[in-house]
Amino acid sequence: MTVTDDIRLEGELVLLRPRVDEDLELFSRWHGNPDVRHWLHMSEMPEQTLEIERQRWHIARNDPTRASFVIETLDGVPIGNILLIGIDALHRRAELGIAIGEKGDWGRGYGTDAIRVVLRYAFEVLKLRRVELITDADNERGIRSYEKCGFVREGVLRAKRLRYGEPLDMIIMAVLRED
Amino acid sequence: MNLPAPDGNIALTVISESILTTKKVRLRPLQESDLAHFQRWLADDELRRWLGSVIEQPSVAEEYDWYVSRRQDPDTILWSIEDADGTLLGNVELRLSPLNRRAAVGIGIFDRGEWGKGYGTEAMGLVLDYAFGELKLNRVELATDEDNARAIRSYEKCGFVREGLLREHRQIDGRPSDSVAMAILRSDWEAR
Repeated sequence: MTVTDDIRLEGELVLLRPRVDEDLELFSRWHGNPDVRHWLHMSEMPEQTLEIERQRWHIARNDPTRASFVIETLDGVPIGNILLIGIDALHRRAELGIAIGEKGDWGRGYGTDAIRVVLRYAFEVLKLRRVELITDADNERGIRSYEKCGFVREGVLRAKRLRYGEPLDMIIMAVLRED
Repeated sequence: MNLPAPDGNIALTVISESILTTKKVRLRPLQESDLAHFQRWLADDELRRWLGSVIEQPSVAEEYDWYVSRRQDPDTILWSIEDADGTLLGNVELRLSPLNRRAAVGIGIFDRGEWGKGYGTEAMGLVLDYAFGELKLNRVELATDEDNARAIRSYEKCGFVREGLLREHRQIDGRPSDSVAMAILRSDWEAR
């Protein structure tokens, strides 16, 4: 279910295009920002050198259960990424991940718009019934954005991940096709 | 706190050969000769319904592919469950996320004649002792059908706590079905 190269998904503020090999440096720069890493599992990983980023992408790029997009502004500037992982055709669900890598573009509605676009793709093109996500319990900005997009809190997962070595609760949220 | 290296899989591969026993059950590494038994048991509609991820009875070849994929995954530990006499009952697997010191667990007593006798609860207890005692994990989690009352009771006996209700998490016989998310933390296990 990897996305075809020529697919373009358009929102009101952003354009989504498939992630390609040439995006490596972009991702490496985004993931090198401690404020971006803070909210991601990368907080527990070694510094994302270009080589580590390459290895990770090498594993991910041909994974048929992933659909990985770069978020661009309408004038074509890449600002972050959004992806569906664990696309499960049997249970018709997937997990959503998103990061606005350009910190200067946080709080401008780009993420919310990108999520709406990907949800439309997940429900209308992939015919999924459920899209879920997990996020740090103290990620208020993220949670507010997810709620705007129709995600509903379903539970608190205690000590779900580590952040800088300390156990951290995460919230699980989901949006159903009929929502 | 000692963090395992993200690629610290060699130790886990060795550990996965561990044999765990109580008076009632024995967990040992899954062997190829177990596969034919699993494959035969998976003809049972009700068993497959509770497992949730197997729609049709797999062929022997498909069952073998499943085994190979698990063996090749350095973050999966897979045991067969036997009774004290060495009779095969089912299997249990831990899928590790070393970076976050947690694992997901999946367990099945495949021989339905042995359901309700406490084998699953006892086997799960062994796996949890291993996960928290040996692997030093923080959290073991699972998701199960909301209407699988027998399994939920067993997990609660082992110390699992409900954390949420996952709406339409699975499709069963073409219909959406809710799942319960459950987990046990190291602190729950220590207080047991």
